[in-house]
Amino acid sequence: MSEQADILTQLSTALTRRVASANSRIVTIRLSADRHLTGMLWQPEIVVTSEQSISRGDEFEVITAGGTTTTAKIIGRDPATNIAALRFVQPASPAKPVASATQAGALVLAVGANALGYATARLGIVNAVEPEWYSSHGGRIDQRIVLDIDLARNEEGGPVFDAAGGLLGMSTFGPRRQVLVIPTATIERVVPSLLKDGRIARGWLGVALRPVAVPDALGDMAGQPSGLMVMSLSDGGPAASAGIFAGDILLSVDGASTRRMRNLTARLGADSIGRKVDLRFIRSGEVMSRLATITERPTS
Amino acid sequence: MSNAAHKLTSRVLIRVAVQGVNPGRRQALSKMLVDAGYLVSEAADAADVVLVDGDCPPTEHKPTVVLGAGDRDAMGLLPANADASQIDAALRAVAAGLIVRSPVACEAGFSQLRESDAQSLLTQRELEVLSVLIEGLTNKAIARRLNISLHTVKFHIESVFRKLGVRTRAEAVAKALDLRHLETIKL
Repeated sequence: MSEQADILTQLSTALTRRVASANSRIVTIRLSADRHLTGMLWQPEIVVTSEQSISRGDEFEVITAGGTTTTAKIIGRDPATNIAALRFVQPASPAKPVASATQAGALVLAVGANALGYATARLGIVNAVEPEWYSSHGGRIDQRIVLDIDLARNEEGGPVFDAAGGLLGMSTFGPRRQVLVIPTATIERVVPSLLKDGRIARGWLGVALRPVAVPDALGDMAGQPSGLMVMSLSDGGPAASAGIFAGDILLSVDGASTRRMRNLTARLGADSIGRKVDLRFIRSGEVMSRLATITERPTS
Repeated sequence: MSNAAHKLTSRVLIRVAVQGVNPGRRQALSKMLVDAGYLVSEAADAADVVLVDGDCPPTEHKPTVVLGAGDRDAMGLLPANADASQIDAALRAVAAGLIVRSPVACEAGFSQLRESDAQSLLTQRELEVLSVLIEGLTNKAIARRLNISLHTVKFHIESVFRKLGVRTRAEAVAKALDLRHLETIKL
């Protein structure tokens, strides 16, 4: 009996130590008088957080453990991978995070920041691990890691550690408050570009699209059962300039069928900017095509 | 005796303050509320409920219904295209101390790219019929508007109901508005 109690005590002691040491890894980002978000210290003077939850604005007050308040400036945002980077003058810098691989069932510790800059803790397990995925904004996320942890709104953006203390990534909310991890590998990939350019360049066609079924009569000619109907066009955007109209049903872009969204977004990476692509579409019962030149997606 | 046993008085008058960056929408919302029997007040501190349209800095600690914005702490969260009956229901619920969320608001969060299932996708014609149905037109009026036969309208509506998995027009309208929001992608 007493030995089992010992194991729990050991676990508890190990956890409190981990959380205490995580104090140097987190900051409180104040959004308003009574709302805040957690930021994760990524490298000296650089904090990353959840892009979807940080308000518009260029400057935020950040509080580090111990109550020191400084101003942090937004350096870059990437809604596609949900990463925002901020810079602030920081007295002490944490060690470089050690990336870690994980699998379903592994114990994880998610750390947030309270209003005073101190660590808050959540313990749980990895609910699911899946291969790379694409976000609805077209960003590639290296791995889909779902946690069985319940997180408070203000704990979003904090680090998620495994049992060995390795960094799985940054916590963020998915649909229905499911807690996801933006993997360390994705942050490592995105932050350098954010620091350099303030954004992640992506290709752009300037269209709002919606999946539709191709009418049976046109199925053979189209060669696919569904396409993307043009709902609206950005004035002067690549698709508008190429002579695409609202109501056209896009079948393929540069040979990639519009049936699979991820094939399409994969074609609109930074390297696509300036490339001429063939747009194949249905208009008034006929299949046509036009050439469009991909430009860089404007910052919203 | 429980509180629930108290008789419901007829509709209580609710004072609403309307806030928003767009003056046109603000005016339209105020008019809609006055027509629906609400008292629209200028200042938030005199109101029972604040209706905020879009991204707007929060002012008072009042029960708030937000239309189409990211303030997820508000008591009421509706999409930007919420209709009059939804806004009415949300204002009354929030005034009564309840929390209101639309299905779309619950889906908010960093999400995966949707790969639509071809079986459940509507055709262009079905989307047209649906967009007229949302306006509340009868089958006859839809036929006249789209210049197709009543029989064809019924055929399309049946197919729309089957694909969306709904049984009533109201369900179809609600589902269609959600899908329009969720399925539209910008490239």
